Amino acid sequence: MSARRDAIRVLLRIALRNLRASPVRTTILGSIILVGALVVVVGTSLLDSIDRGLRTSIQGSLGGHLQVYAASSEGSLELYGGLRGESLLDPIEDFSKVKAVIEKVPNVRQVVPMGIDQAMVATGNVFDIALERLRADARRLEAGERGEELQRAWEAHKAHVRRMVGLLRGEIEQALAIVDPDSQEGRDRAPDFEALQRASTDAFWEGFDRDRYGNLELLENRIAPLAMDNAFTFLRYVGTDVDAFFEAFPLAEVVEGERIPTGQRGILVGKQYAEEWLKLKNARRLDQIKDARDRRGRRIAKDEELQRWVKDNGNGIKEILLQLDPIQAEVAAARLREGLGAPAGEPLEALLRRLFASTDETFDRDYRVFYGGLAPLLRLYMINVGETITVKAPTKSGYFNSINLKVYGFLQFRGIERSGIAGMMSVMDLMSFRQLYGYVTAEKAEEIRRLKASMGAPEVKREDAEAALFGAPAPLVAESKAEAIDERALVAGAGQKRAAAEAAAARVYPREEIEHGEILNAAIILKSPARLRQSLHDVQAAVDAAKLGLKVIDWQAASGIVGQFVTLMRIVLFTALLIFFSVALVIINNAMVMATLQRVKEIGTMRAIGAQRRFVVVMLLVEITTVGLLFGLGGAVLGGGVVWAIRAFGGIPATTDVLYFVFAGPSLLPTMGGLAVGLSLAIVLAVSVLSALYPAVIALKVAPVEAMATDD
Amino acid sequence: MAIVSVKDVSKTYTLGKTEVPALRGVSLDVEQGEFLSIAGPSGSGKTTLLNLVGCVDTPSAGTVLVDGQDTAALSERALTDLRLRRIGFIFQSFNLVQVLSVFQNVEFPLLLQGGLTKKERADRVLGLLEAVGIHSYARHRPSELSGGQRQRVAVARALVSRPKLVLADEPTANLDSQTGANIIDLMRDMNRKDGTTFIFSTHDPKVMSHASAIVRIADGQVAAREGARGGAGAPA
Repeated sequence: MSARRDAIRVLLRIALRNLRASPVRTTILGSIILVGALVVVVGTSLLDSIDRGLRTSIQGSLGGHLQVYAASSEGSLELYGGLRGESLLDPIEDFSKVKAVIEKVPNVRQVVPMGIDQAMVATGNVFDIALERLRADARRLEAGERGEELQRAWEAHKAHVRRMVGLLRGEIEQALAIVDPDSQEGRDRAPDFEALQRASTDAFWEGFDRDRYGNLELLENRIAPLAMDNAFTFLRYVGTDVDAFFEAFPLAEVVEGERIPTGQRGILVGKQYAEEWLKLKNARRLDQIKDARDRRGRRIAKDEELQRWVKDNGNGIKEILLQLDPIQAEVAAARLREGLGAPAGEPLEALLRRLFASTDETFDRDYRVFYGGLAPLLRLYMINVGETITVKAPTKSGYFNSINLKVYGFLQFRGIERSGIAGMMSVMDLMSFRQLYGYVTAEKAEEIRRLKASMGAPEVKREDAEAALFGAPAPLVAESKAEAIDERALVAGAGQKRAAAEAAAARVYPREEIEHGEILNAAIILKSPARLRQSLHDVQAAVDAAKLGLKVIDWQAASGIVGQFVTLMRIVLFTALLIFFSVALVIINNAMVMATLQRVKEIGTMRAIGAQRRFVVVMLLVEITTVGLLFGLGGAVLGGGVVWAIRAFGGIPATTDVLYFVFAGPSLLPTMGGLAVGLSLAIVLAVSVLSALYPAVIALKVAPVEAMATDD
Repeated sequence: MAIVSVKDVSKTYTLGKTEVPALRGVSLDVEQGEFLSIAGPSGSGKTTLLNLVGCVDTPSAGTVLVDGQDTAALSERALTDLRLRRIGFIFQSFNLVQVLSVFQNVEFPLLLQGGLTKKERADRVLGLLEAVGIHSYARHRPSELSGGQRQRVAVARALVSRPKLVLADEPTANLDSQTGANIIDLMRDMNRKDGTTFIFSTHDPKVMSHASAIVRIADGQVAAREGARGGAGAPA
């Protein structure tokens, strides 16, 4: 045995000395292997860390561990939206049945009902807000309140609205010049134009106080809608059992306001969504510039994008001016003059220009002055916590449904607050989702029953429908009623709208009602995520046995394109590595062939004095694997150093929303796994052995008689 | 019994389309303990005969028996094993492993054989290095030695496994005549001491004169056999 050990030792000795004997060749081969191992270690470490980040983001925000949806669905479930928009899912008729079956599967902790869709949100506009203020004043005046302060506010608010009407008329007149007055649209909008004409006359405003409510109605119902053009934005939401949602996704938190109370209707708006789509544009841009300067070290003077934002802010001044009534404008001007150290008497518009023409030197001051002085006078977000918003969406059958929902708060996911993927999501109660999506809720059914009764429509059974329509001339309407239409009642004012919404919002739905109904998908939270594969099969088996017609997928599949990110990156990395190592294989193979040919005589001598072929082959393999192991380990250690350095310098910054989500935070802090080192060594060894195969064949063919050849 | 028995051996090499006969019906018996020189001009077939006897080549016709075994009937592995355990080689250009020290070069066949402890190997290697007179160079590399010194190492390597037969192809061709003579004396000493059979080829008449017997080869045939048959070098 000891002789064998000694033989191995002599093989190693020969290998090492051969390597040392040709330092250039060894260095070249070694560097190739070293770089390869380094790339493998750094690449896989980064990808594994990204994988972990993505897992945190998806599992913690919406995905859970598994997802189920109707197997009959046309599309597949994509939690974050796919290339073609929202997933086309067939509804699951009764969530309670699904829940009962899945909850029995071992390792399942929780089943959360979901319905993800997009809706339009009427965000209101500055016109509405100004009218709201005017109405508040009017209420106080009508109630008999008097006072100089109130009178001044009333006049200021009236002046504000009047100025806006003037601006609106200017815009509409341009439109009128284009629209053909005889066209359908021209005719439809004619009454509105007339109302606008009336509201911009001096007589209207002089006589305004004679019928405050009447005139307000005209402004609210006829004029304000004309200014509504761009007052819708799209909102992505998940309708869910809100309590279950917060239990299942501990990363979710309400940053302003409170959770939707148990069993009640309402919405939590995504914080990041609010920042990006609902915030006053100038304020949003100031935030972005601040973020770019503070976190990325970018400078306005050197950065074209920052310069563009500053320029855009200059153009956005009008939006701010429109928001301020004369009293607020005076306060704003005074605060800006002081904050910016501007000369006395400089008008507000010039002051705003001065404020927003930021340079690197003045930015921090400008930011402070904006948020400290100006922002409290402005409506910063188009939707505020506590308000009621109108959410509108096309139902499954195609018509639009809209509901009013109270905004209970802003929602964010801890750790990935700034992610545009998770942060865009709003959370809505399940009842509201069903209504928006066009399902007949118990409440709706009742409403339909009442409507039918009031109109005297007889109950037509499905099987009799044909006969009822085309058969005997039975009267469809049992008894027609003639009633005067109360226009005022149909066009409910803002106040009534809110009252109705508040009544609906106050209703508490029992859990059974929430769970007995349609959903689109459900998230499953496992007790032990390590057994995900097994649980996926168990859940699928359980729903198949119960004939629920559901498909079970894991979180990664459910996350669609986003979830494929890591897979895609892995493919890219491994393709690159494959090319690299293929080239390396050829180079190493060539070098080894050369080395073998140079040693034909030595190999022949060894064979002549009694070395078996095996010995010669092992000798070559030992030599190349020694290079592989030494330099491979060196590369792995160096790779570890690179990974460590990335961490030490604060990680790789997430420069985009997608990266923020993928990294599950503002930067990626990679960790090196033992697997990465193992993998790199395995690959390097495999490449070494493969590249030694052809030289080994050459060595095998060296006959002992070669030893006899003379040198010349 | 003859250690080597060559009977009616022919060897033909193919060079392109022409066949070049190297040996034409050679028969030769070598007894245990002989110190035999194979002499002849270049191209006469000396090296071919040695290759056949040394089991690194096989005959086109006829039989070669080495230590009683027919080399044509042995597998590649068995031939290698035969070389390892029965035959020692000394080459014209020494053929030492450049990256190994003198000691390691000599130890190499013992490692291939296995079966000895480290101490046993060291004793045997150092003993031989002493015998060939270069024990003080044990740690040196071949490149640090002169030609004569290298060939002494080669002799030690050929003898370290205690073979019955040592083959040397022109062992003095790359040495000056004085050094060459010394090497032949060394081989002769070993032949006398241990009774190891030596067969070496040469075309140098001075070297030939040291042999106990000379086989002259010309045109692939044995032209003459001079000197005593049997163990000339055997201990008296």
